[in-house]
Amino acid sequence: MSDIQNEVNGERRTALKIIGAIGTTCAFPFSADELYGQHVHEAAKPPAPAGPYTPVFFKPAEYALVGHIADLIIPQTETPGATASGVPQYIDNLVSKNEQHQPLYREGLALVDSTAQSKFGKKFLELDETRQIELLLPWSEAVDRNKLTTPGAKFFKAIKSMTADGYYTSYAGLVQELGYKGNVALAAFPECTHEH
Amino acid sequence: MAGKVYDVCIVGSGAAGGTLAAHLARSGADVIVVEGGPKVNTRTAFNTHAMPFEFPNRQIPTMKPGVQGFDGERSRGLGGKTQLWNAVAWRMSQRDFKGRQHDGAGEDWPINYSDLAPYYDRIEREVGVCGNRDGLEDLPDGIFLPPVPMKCSDKMIAKGAEKLGVKIIHVRKSTRSVPAPRTDWTPARPACHFCGNCMAGCDVVAKYNSYDVHMIPALKTGKLTLQPDSVVYEIPVTNENRVTGVKFINRSTMQQGEVQARAVVVAAACAQSSSLLLMSKSRLYPNGLANSSGHLGQDFIPHFTGGVQVFLKELIGKPATDDEGYLDHAYIPSFMHNRKRGYARSFGVQFNYQNRRSVGWARSMPGFGKQYKQSVKDRYPAFVVMSPYGEMIPNRESFVDLDWSKKDKYGLPLTRRTVVWKDNDWALFKDMNKWVVNIVKAAGAEVLSVSEQPVTNHELGGCRSGNDPKTSVVDANLRSHDVPNLYVVDGSVFPSASEKNPTHTIMALALRLSDHIGEKAKKGELA
Repeated sequence: MSDIQNEVNGERRTALKIIGAIGTTCAFPFSADELYGQHVHEAAKPPAPAGPYTPVFFKPAEYALVGHIADLIIPQTETPGATASGVPQYIDNLVSKNEQHQPLYREGLALVDSTAQSKFGKKFLELDETRQIELLLPWSEAVDRNKLTTPGAKFFKAIKSMTADGYYTSYAGLVQELGYKGNVALAAFPECTHEH
Repeated sequence: MAGKVYDVCIVGSGAAGGTLAAHLARSGADVIVVEGGPKVNTRTAFNTHAMPFEFPNRQIPTMKPGVQGFDGERSRGLGGKTQLWNAVAWRMSQRDFKGRQHDGAGEDWPINYSDLAPYYDRIEREVGVCGNRDGLEDLPDGIFLPPVPMKCSDKMIAKGAEKLGVKIIHVRKSTRSVPAPRTDWTPARPACHFCGNCMAGCDVVAKYNSYDVHMIPALKTGKLTLQPDSVVYEIPVTNENRVTGVKFINRSTMQQGEVQARAVVVAAACAQSSSLLLMSKSRLYPNGLANSSGHLGQDFIPHFTGGVQVFLKELIGKPATDDEGYLDHAYIPSFMHNRKRGYARSFGVQFNYQNRRSVGWARSMPGFGKQYKQSVKDRYPAFVVMSPYGEMIPNRESFVDLDWSKKDKYGLPLTRRTVVWKDNDWALFKDMNKWVVNIVKAAGAEVLSVSEQPVTNHELGGCRSGNDPKTSVVDANLRSHDVPNLYVVDGSVFPSASEKNPTHTIMALALRLSDHIGEKAKKGELA
């Protein structure tokens, strides 16, 4: 087949795809001269799997700690948790570009380990999960009471906020976990027929 | 500079400039639109359908990669803010035009509702506004396409409101609820298909934008010239007190140029319009063009909004539904204007227009771990944002001026807004948040947050229209009191804001102005 023929067939396939989508999902008027109403909405796709990631700001040990704390905040359930959804990369990307966040994380992560040492005589990652949660809990409770007076609470607020932001804007968080359904063409808006 | 002299040069191409340009061209006048931003292709330029996980920082940029436009105040693009508006379209009422007569505050318009009603009619027939005829005295009905059904959550809130004697109506928007056939002057347009966030750009033009709906069809008159990428920095005036056109800088080449015209209309998006006139200093007008009153830039009265974030208990733990499309479907029209209250003017409440692709509130859920994750999931379908909009009373401490210490890349001073809220504004702000909280509580909602500070939106005022040349910048026909061939049309000419989203009124004003200027052009009375 010649290149030109290929091109013609390709165009025809595209046209069929457009008409097909209109025919099946909604009855748009078709105005060939102005191309209004030609629109194919494709369902949200998970991003291509990322290759190995080298953190820009965090040192390897810090990065492992960030990932672990993020997973304690949003663990894997029937849907992926924070690390499997790329939250540590998201945090590294943000922190590497914001000088105000950098000392907060560097000192906060060091505080996590020094607190683990003084309370339990081990590094944070060497503790079992119950102890890890026990360590973070007072910080989290201070955040919930909006008492950001200690370095621990300040650090926990930062990492919890970024974990939530990163997770709920990921494919796993927004589409799989929360079930975001928008961004598709509806022939009509479903009227509420329930008794409220 | 020898060259073409247009009948009318319009600065800006949004709701006002685009509407005016199309109608003047259709009436036979030679029109040029000078727009600071580039030409943008509505179908392909905007990131309408992007998801946050496509971007490393999870922020969805307005434009597709490599597409220019909407990158700053002075360079938005053809269509202006109508490309990214939410399309809410109210008629203002007689009370809104003559508020001072009701409560003694603020300033009256030099026109009445009856002056503008025929133009609201024409705009609605031309572009299509959907809504329900509700028979409310304070929110006049129009010529409407069928309204879009309400969401389940709207009906729940309506039930709560009803308990307090407050009525909820279908929202009215310049978005097609039924398709439009092609006519001589308007393109074929599909009905809305509820795909998502209207404010990320509507790539099928079910939502009105002035470029596709008004300007492109008017190009076939041969009378309309669109000149994008041209940032206007001065409107020159002769010693005989006539403006001659505009001076501009090309946004890419940085070359300066000039357009000549018999009349100039400033329609540069409220604060920018004041700013352009303030920059246009001359021997006749050392304090800014058309500023003999000293009121140019004054009387700045943007809307202020509150904000209440809630979870509807009835929807907590329910499966997520697809209700993002068309954004808000319902509205709480002003009801305080005829109730006893401790302040002047009133408010209306837009609600339920949250973008389901953004879950920022997840940060504020307590705790962490599996329970935390579950509580966010449970509340996702139940989250609703309520945004009451209140009317600000003009005061001498709230104005637009130029900040000469900060210049943009064109070397032009930045437009500076100064807003100070006074007692009446604070009383209204607190009361509107209180009402919203009571309504959502009556509807069975958990309140997540209530805003403590007013936030500005919908810029209005700065080139106030009025009958008195000592206290206003333009007259009832939107013509400068000072310079006979200079006009202003956009939100800046509003002497009082009302609580209603202003764009529909801005379009009606632009259409009325096109009749006025078109008449003068025909009689050769422009320059």
